[in-house]
Amino acid sequence: MLRFVLRRVALVLPSLAGLLVVTFLLIHAVPSDPAVAMAGDAATPEQIERLRKQYGLDRPIWEQFAVYLGKVATLDLGESAFTRRPVARDIVQRLPATLELTFCALALSVFIGVPLGVMAGLKHNTWPDYLLRVFSVLGIAVAAFWFAIMLQLLFSMQLGWLPLRGELDVSIARPTRVTGFLLLDCLIAGRLDAFADAARHLVLPAVTLSLGGLATIVRFTRAGVLDTLQHDFVFYERAMGYRRLRLIWIYVLRNSVTATVTQIGLLFGGLIAGGVVVEAIFDWPGIGSYTVQAILTGDRQVMLAVTLLVGTVYAGVNILVDVVHGLLDPRLMERT
Amino acid sequence: MSRHGRLGRRELGGLAIGAFAAGALRSAQAADATTFVSGFGLPINLDPHQIFDVPMQAVMLNAYDNLYRYQGDPPKIVPWLAESHTVSADGLTWEFKLRSGVKFHDGSPLTADDVVYSFRRMLALALAPAGAFLKILKPEGVTAPEPLVVRFKLETSYAPFFAAIPSISIVNPRQIKANEKDGDWAKSWLASNGAGSGSYRIVPAGYRPLEYLDMEIFDGHFLGWSDNPKPVRKIACRPTKESSTRLLALLDGSLDCTDTNLPADQVAQINASKIAYVQKDVVMRTFIIRMNNTKPPFDNLNARRCFAHAFNYMGFITDILGGYATRDPYPMPDTLWGIPKDAKGYDYDLAKAKEYMAKAVAEGAPMKRPFELHVQSENEQSVQGAQLFQSDLAQIGINLKVVGNIWSNLTTAAAKPETTPDMWVHWVSTYFVDPENWVGQMYDSQFHGTWKASAYYKNPEVDALLRKARALTKQEERAPLYEEAIRKIMADSPDIWIYNSMQLQGLNKRIKGRRFCTVGQGAEMRWVTLAS
Repeated sequence: MLRFVLRRVALVLPSLAGLLVVTFLLIHAVPSDPAVAMAGDAATPEQIERLRKQYGLDRPIWEQFAVYLGKVATLDLGESAFTRRPVARDIVQRLPATLELTFCALALSVFIGVPLGVMAGLKHNTWPDYLLRVFSVLGIAVAAFWFAIMLQLLFSMQLGWLPLRGELDVSIARPTRVTGFLLLDCLIAGRLDAFADAARHLVLPAVTLSLGGLATIVRFTRAGVLDTLQHDFVFYERAMGYRRLRLIWIYVLRNSVTATVTQIGLLFGGLIAGGVVVEAIFDWPGIGSYTVQAILTGDRQVMLAVTLLVGTVYAGVNILVDVVHGLLDPRLMERT
Repeated sequence: MSRHGRLGRRELGGLAIGAFAAGALRSAQAADATTFVSGFGLPINLDPHQIFDVPMQAVMLNAYDNLYRYQGDPPKIVPWLAESHTVSADGLTWEFKLRSGVKFHDGSPLTADDVVYSFRRMLALALAPAGAFLKILKPEGVTAPEPLVVRFKLETSYAPFFAAIPSISIVNPRQIKANEKDGDWAKSWLASNGAGSGSYRIVPAGYRPLEYLDMEIFDGHFLGWSDNPKPVRKIACRPTKESSTRLLALLDGSLDCTDTNLPADQVAQINASKIAYVQKDVVMRTFIIRMNNTKPPFDNLNARRCFAHAFNYMGFITDILGGYATRDPYPMPDTLWGIPKDAKGYDYDLAKAKEYMAKAVAEGAPMKRPFELHVQSENEQSVQGAQLFQSDLAQIGINLKVVGNIWSNLTTAAAKPETTPDMWVHWVSTYFVDPENWVGQMYDSQFHGTWKASAYYKNPEVDALLRKARALTKQEERAPLYEEAIRKIMADSPDIWIYNSMQLQGLNKRIKGRRFCTVGQGAEMRWVTLAS
């Protein structure tokens, strides 16, 4: 197992290095001068030039890249041109909110999507299957921003059940930051009022973000179940008198979800990218809006750091997916 | 797993669900009567010596004090931390007498030494707020001859100095020095903290850049609170990023005010609600299409006049902006002194545009080449304005391409005449209330290289007039010089001046006592109360 994981990690490292080089080159190709953003609206050309020199922006690109690599090696991601704070600090402050939202959306997608997919497969060509097929097409087709506004109108404006935006009500004091994950911090602080409020704030963004993933997982699980049900071992186990529930949830499901697990790994990247829109609509304080702001202001350090970070997280999740694949089908581990 | 552990999780889960359900029906409740939930945008960080833009005004005016401050509508500069000031006859020495008994948020007294430190810090950082001071003030030129007297010795006479004084916040050196690292003037620390004496203090734990900011009342503010017995106790800044969310939040009462960029199409919807209304205020914020006067055919007067006559000013204001702007044919707000009221602006007249085009072509101007007009993509109204211009120019045979861009790219491009687009669109907000903020910095050729001067207009007579006006201290002497300069600028038609903005802001009806000033755009909170 360890060898399997190490091999996967070793394969990921060159990809991350490539990502860093390509991102660095692309960002420097954009005709935007960070010194201008740093100097601000009322700055003179002299002020801008001074900043350019101060931050080494007047040096050749290869030299800037070498300096940046040296810093990254020591986990120094530089200083943001627009918040004027260390990028690592800004990211550490925001990433938990994004991950909290992403994992909740992923959990919703998986824990609802897999059973629904199994049901659709078992009820092949009956009305529940037709219904779920329509749902999965709609789920993929519907734009997240439209769905978000519909949820806001229904659950916040009409019914008044759930908050419209943000991650915590202004009247509730934030718990002491321990992990950065608001729900966890609320529990650690024993603040159930804050936990409940934070959970309610999480519902609409998580549901919005999960929709596309949910639909995808339903489709892939359904297809996997339909395929597995045709295998001989299913007929054999049926003939052997295995209980239906045991047969489906252990033997059929295990053999059906390989493609679904692969999709989950891919979905994770999609959820982080899709989170930019969802975070903006629900004013969710994650890295999405931070990244958008960095792009609009030409803040290179932030763009580089966020790309590298998202790439690393994405790679990590896909290593995890590979491990799960290996656990589901030990032959994969033996082959590698 | 032990039974004990299983029960613990169940209890926890049960309690969480119960708490969740208990709170489920109170999501749309209004904030309490002492907390103001503001939708104003946040500055990119909280240091008033690093940032100087419109969002920063909301922080500066509430969390910091300055020597003088703009108040009222139209804005007047009034004593604030200073009781009075004097200026020498040559305009080089300015002395400000401070109030006594002013305290910072940490309880320490505010003295002339603190003012000196604040100005020296601003000059040392040399960032945006220093723009008006760097050329005329050296750090050693700011001194404290007495504990409550600050003296400024300018390098050269500069009348807008006084108008720019409110742009500098006074910070607490004791807090700053305690958080300095490697002589950085605590630049990183103050980016996320407060060190002021203003009516509200920044709560560092309640701050996440660009996401939220909490400020709580400072009971010890030097003005006291007798003029507002029921002030807002907490300002919770929760800017919205999406226009639709902003509207819904205002209508469900979870937001007390929107930012000041409300789209015209939301006005009727808000005014029809029981909970909120739209406040309209004319502000000094001009909307301009810049022309790069160094690129042919914009180096030709007739070509520039052709473009100036081809813009449908009133169509844009009436149909696209819903009438929420005032036509301003001058290169600065028509409410400001120094405007030659007899000067006639350019009107929408395609026949005249054709005439000027023919003259320009006869003079060899390349009017048939394709032109680019760069707009800020995220601003729908400027995109629509550009499209309107495009369709009118097409009628006279001019091929205009509308190019979406972002502010940072545009300001970078505007640093050089060869990279500045043919045309681009922007506003000029009130950084300080003086003609220098508009015509002074836009049309004096010494400012070439800044985005404000991106027309790259050069007229030695105008340069001389503006420089002379800048060196005088009396408004009655300066005004005729600006009038003359503006007449010449308008005759040269270097840009297309379109409108002065009307600020549209959605406000909850529980807000009482709001005082509006174009500087800060109504963000100062010390007079506001919230009705039950």
